[in-house]
Amino acid sequence: MNLHAILSILVFSPLLGIAVLALMPKDQEKSIKLVGFLATLPALLISLAAYAHYLAGKHLSDFSVSVEWIHFRGMNVEAPYFAVNYELALSGFQLLLVVLTAVVATLASIAARYVKKEWKGFFMLFLLLEVGMLGVFTAENLILFFIFFEVTLIPTFFLIGKWGYFEREKAAYSFLIYNGLGSAVLLIVIMILFAKTGTTNINILKDILADPSAPVSGDLKLGLLIALLVAFGVKLPIFPLHSWMLRVHVQAPVPTVMIHSGILLKIGAYGLIRFGMGLFPEQFDTLSTLIAVLGVINLLYGAFLAFIQTDFKMVLAYSSISHMGIVLIGLAAMNEAGVQGAIFQVISHGLISALLFFIVGVLYERTDTSLIGNLGGMAKGMPVAAGFLLAGAMASLGLPGMSGFVSEFMAFLGLFKEMPWLAAVGTIGIIMTAAYLLRAVLGMTFGKSHREFTGVVDLKGVEFVPVVVLMLLIVLIGVYPSVLSSPLQATLETIMPGLGG
Amino acid sequence: MSSVPASAFLALALILFCIGLYGALTKRNTVIVLISIELMLNAVNINLVTFSKYGMAPSITGQIFALFAISVAAAEAAVGLAILIALYRTKKTVNIDEMDTMKN
Amino acid sequence: MENAWLIPLFPLISFLILLLFGKRLKEASAYVGILLTLASLIYSILVLFERFSEPTYVTKFDWLTIGDFHLTAGFEVNQLNALMLFIVSLVSFLVHTYSKGYMHGDERFHVFYAYLGLFTFAMLGLVISPNLLQTYIFWELVGVGSFLLIGFYFYKEEAKAAAKKAFIMTRIGDVGLFIGMALLFWQTKSFEYSDIFAAVDAGQVSGTMITLTAILIFIGAVGKSGQFPLHTWLPDAMEGPTPVSALIHAATMVAAGVYLVASLFPLFSASHTALMTVAVIGGFTAIFAASIGLVQTDIKRVLAYSTVSQLGYMMLALGSAGYVAGVFHLMTHAFFKALLFLAAGSVIHAVHTQDIEEMGGLWKKLKLTGPLFLIGTLAISGVPLLSGFFSKDEILAAAWEGGHPVLFVLALVAAFFTAFYMFRLFFMVFTGEARGNQKHVHESPSVMTFPMIILGVLAVVAGYVNTPWFGTFLGDWLVDGNEALAAHGHHEGPVWIMILATVVSLLGIYLAWLIYGKRSVSRNWLSGSGDMLHTVLLNKYYVDEFYQLTIVAITKGISYFLRFIDTFLVEGIVKGITGFVQGLGATGSKMQSGQVQTYGAVAFIGLALLAVIYALTGGYLR
Repeated sequence: MNLHAILSILVFSPLLGIAVLALMPKDQEKSIKLVGFLATLPALLISLAAYAHYLAGKHLSDFSVSVEWIHFRGMNVEAPYFAVNYELALSGFQLLLVVLTAVVATLASIAARYVKKEWKGFFMLFLLLEVGMLGVFTAENLILFFIFFEVTLIPTFFLIGKWGYFEREKAAYSFLIYNGLGSAVLLIVIMILFAKTGTTNINILKDILADPSAPVSGDLKLGLLIALLVAFGVKLPIFPLHSWMLRVHVQAPVPTVMIHSGILLKIGAYGLIRFGMGLFPEQFDTLSTLIAVLGVINLLYGAFLAFIQTDFKMVLAYSSISHMGIVLIGLAAMNEAGVQGAIFQVISHGLISALLFFIVGVLYERTDTSLIGNLGGMAKGMPVAAGFLLAGAMASLGLPGMSGFVSEFMAFLGLFKEMPWLAAVGTIGIIMTAAYLLRAVLGMTFGKSHREFTGVVDLKGVEFVPVVVLMLLIVLIGVYPSVLSSPLQATLETIMPGLGG
Repeated sequence: MSSVPASAFLALALILFCIGLYGALTKRNTVIVLISIELMLNAVNINLVTFSKYGMAPSITGQIFALFAISVAAAEAAVGLAILIALYRTKKTVNIDEMDTMKN
Repeated sequence: MENAWLIPLFPLISFLILLLFGKRLKEASAYVGILLTLASLIYSILVLFERFSEPTYVTKFDWLTIGDFHLTAGFEVNQLNALMLFIVSLVSFLVHTYSKGYMHGDERFHVFYAYLGLFTFAMLGLVISPNLLQTYIFWELVGVGSFLLIGFYFYKEEAKAAAKKAFIMTRIGDVGLFIGMALLFWQTKSFEYSDIFAAVDAGQVSGTMITLTAILIFIGAVGKSGQFPLHTWLPDAMEGPTPVSALIHAATMVAAGVYLVASLFPLFSASHTALMTVAVIGGFTAIFAASIGLVQTDIKRVLAYSTVSQLGYMMLALGSAGYVAGVFHLMTHAFFKALLFLAAGSVIHAVHTQDIEEMGGLWKKLKLTGPLFLIGTLAISGVPLLSGFFSKDEILAAAWEGGHPVLFVLALVAAFFTAFYMFRLFFMVFTGEARGNQKHVHESPSVMTFPMIILGVLAVVAGYVNTPWFGTFLGDWLVDGNEALAAHGHHEGPVWIMILATVVSLLGIYLAWLIYGKRSVSRNWLSGSGDMLHTVLLNKYYVDEFYQLTIVAITKGISYFLRFIDTFLVEGIVKGITGFVQGLGATGSKMQSGQVQTYGAVAFIGLALLAVIYALTGGYLR
């Protein structure tokens, strides 16, 4: 069977939903929501099928596709072609991210039941965003990657700016400006690489750059890596480029923030691993101390600030900063344990933050507040929601048996080999994570109730789907981490030789 | 017969252009400004014709181009005056420094 | 033994069943929990007996692959593990049974049983872990079980605070364990106990590293076992239901720290400094907590401080290289302390208060609880012929033999304190006149007294498995086939230690009787002589306040400082940049006067400038 078309179908399948939605009248709320949900399913099914294909022991390279797209040459007729091809492929790492994207997108489309207005526009943008995300993770070509990257920016801007909470427009603009600047830097990097080497295919670039006779000097590589660190550092976000993300996490509507913290932030990590570490391994090694320090700063900075927030959404926003610090810590270790930990953290945090933000959304829907002080004693009125919230918090603070632990453990294990002192400082973050999450979650669920919970219903019906699915995945990864680690081995092997270790 | 040197034509064009430029930049009356612009165009035309005769590669193209410029200038004068009249009707003035709607 | 993994599985099944169907089962949940833990218990007994005749059984499989390292999971049944399996599943079963009576009528009855199942699962998993990583995993899970159960009465602010405190304080210790584990991994390239010991034996790990990792791991044990300075959570944990205190905060989880040190004993014994640290912390905690216990008035808090003190004893034993002594006391303590807590629960159940000032004269009303409580009190005080006597004697002998005369004296004083405060508790609760408002005082139902009777019997007889008189079965068995431990087996202490210990504990009892039983000595005799001292003890040496003023305040301080940075520095820079861009735009727009002639002039000047530049440079700026 010819599988080459599968990836294109996977990436562009949400467009079908957009086409159907375009033909529907604006005011049919229920059927629009249903179509929006259904439109995310093909991608989910195909990505799961791809995972099953992998499990069946077949090669992921079956899915690679490469079609000539644009090519030109300079004034000199002898010069080689500058080619930009339409290239999609899957590696183990990309496969996991695609599955994560598809799962979170489907669950977020369920969470979109809380959208109050203009459902049609919402879902069209939402599905476009999904196309962008799937494309980002499957693109094998920097230009294609960049195009998909931009495709994620614009819908997100509108999704925040139009359907968010009170200060939505300000949040949307700071999102756009920060990320726009970040992607401008990224574009410069891509263009320099393109001009110097004549290709933007990631694998070919990697080989060219690994060759010492390449037309790219070591200093230039270092400069490009620093630029990449800035470009993806905005996305991740790395302190001090984080302030846009706080606003977005507080102001964006539930489904958007699930996608945003679950997937979009991960593009930063993906880019750092795939391009930063993959293309410039030696320079990455030079910078590893800096990256580790940044990671520890992120971890502690986020944790300490999360400790004094009064709004639970802010707690979660700062906790995202803190958890992304662990990604940096793992990457800085530059050994198998660290990098694998970083990748685990990317996926695990995607699931956990989607879960927590969904629950916050549920609470906000019912009580019109996400302030910790206003929600005290919630366990009395909504025991099931409170239980899941507590379980989510436990996963987030790295309780063994859940996904957070495995990633945190490996990232720190990796760093302890290379820079034990820095890692020891970082472990303060582990304590602080427990402190701020328990402070916030117990403040909301335990204690005397500050308000009447009459008329406030617990989780019900379709709301169970995202919560239970995410929880099961979190526990699955925590109990049996091989579901992630075995697809990753091949990816790690391709990254690691470049690291000389 | 002693021919007039090319530099004389060019000097004439330069003087004409400078007069035109001065008028266009300093006069308050819009009609004068338009006339000054015509002066500058004519200076250009003289240059074109001069070079078509005394240039490095003399050819008819310069004269044809001058004819083009004259006809375009005529059209431009017509349109310019029409706009001017329209403006005068609404603003009751032809003073150029009162026409600053481009600001803001 | 190859099916020992089933033992933790039963409680896990109980947890899952109750989580999903508990609401419908209501109080029938108890039967699910009781039956499944009974299955665990029976199986543990079988495993224990099998272990008497067969060698250690280990099995493992790949759990996670990191590059070339294959981390494994599995289980191991060695002597210590088999013994712990038995202790944990027995106490858990008894507590499950007891709770059926104690928690009767509670709205969240099924949740309680579900949590108990989770905890039992984690604890049983902990004691059969063959490697450090798996130990850590279950180590954290028991912490969660404990956290959930302490916070069971979640609507009480005290319970909320206590649960939070327990979790965070033990986590501080856990981080120590985590660091130690990670460092050890890169030294030995393995988490397996056997590989670690082999590497340590072969001298692959430097002495400093052994000391460092051992002490870091000990920090984990300090957190879990409530040793000074991380002990403050344990007394607060008494906010949980009393059966929980008996199971988690007396018999099993808090002993996990002792278990951890015991199972890593070959590592510790390779470093003199590490052992010394363990012994000093243990000895200090023993007397420190015992002195606080002298003046507390909450029945459960007295028992809690007594637990802290007894755990200190065990640490002292291990630190003095008394491996058998430590484990032996761990076992006897599990029985008599669980008994004491359950009996205390029975008292609380009867009088609905925890304040001993409001009790008194209950001996006649609680015909069964009273004598059982007395047995527990006698056992913990080290009165001869009961279990506590033998294990305490073993510890004192180990401390003396280990060459720690100061710690030996500390332990003796702690033994005196223990006898005194336990009998103070006994006399105040059971003798004298009834104080407070006691109506309808009745003995607990048989479902509650039955577990107490079993524990009572064990509190009396458990000591005879390892006595200088009838043979040291336990000691010999524990170190059998393990050369590293053989040197730290049973210590035959001098007879005078035994006599001295007996005299000291009897003195303590006598003094308590004089003050609280016979009342021939004023109760203010102690507090009157040192008002200051009494206040300090009553306030637990102000450790909590000290932490509040230092660690908590510093943390908050850092947080607010960072918030300051976040709002002013980070945001400030961003504001500065946006302001600059806006200013630039504003200046630019001001230059647009709207005067066509100005524009024309500017354009012409620009053109002229370009022409000049062109003329001067020939078109290229060099």
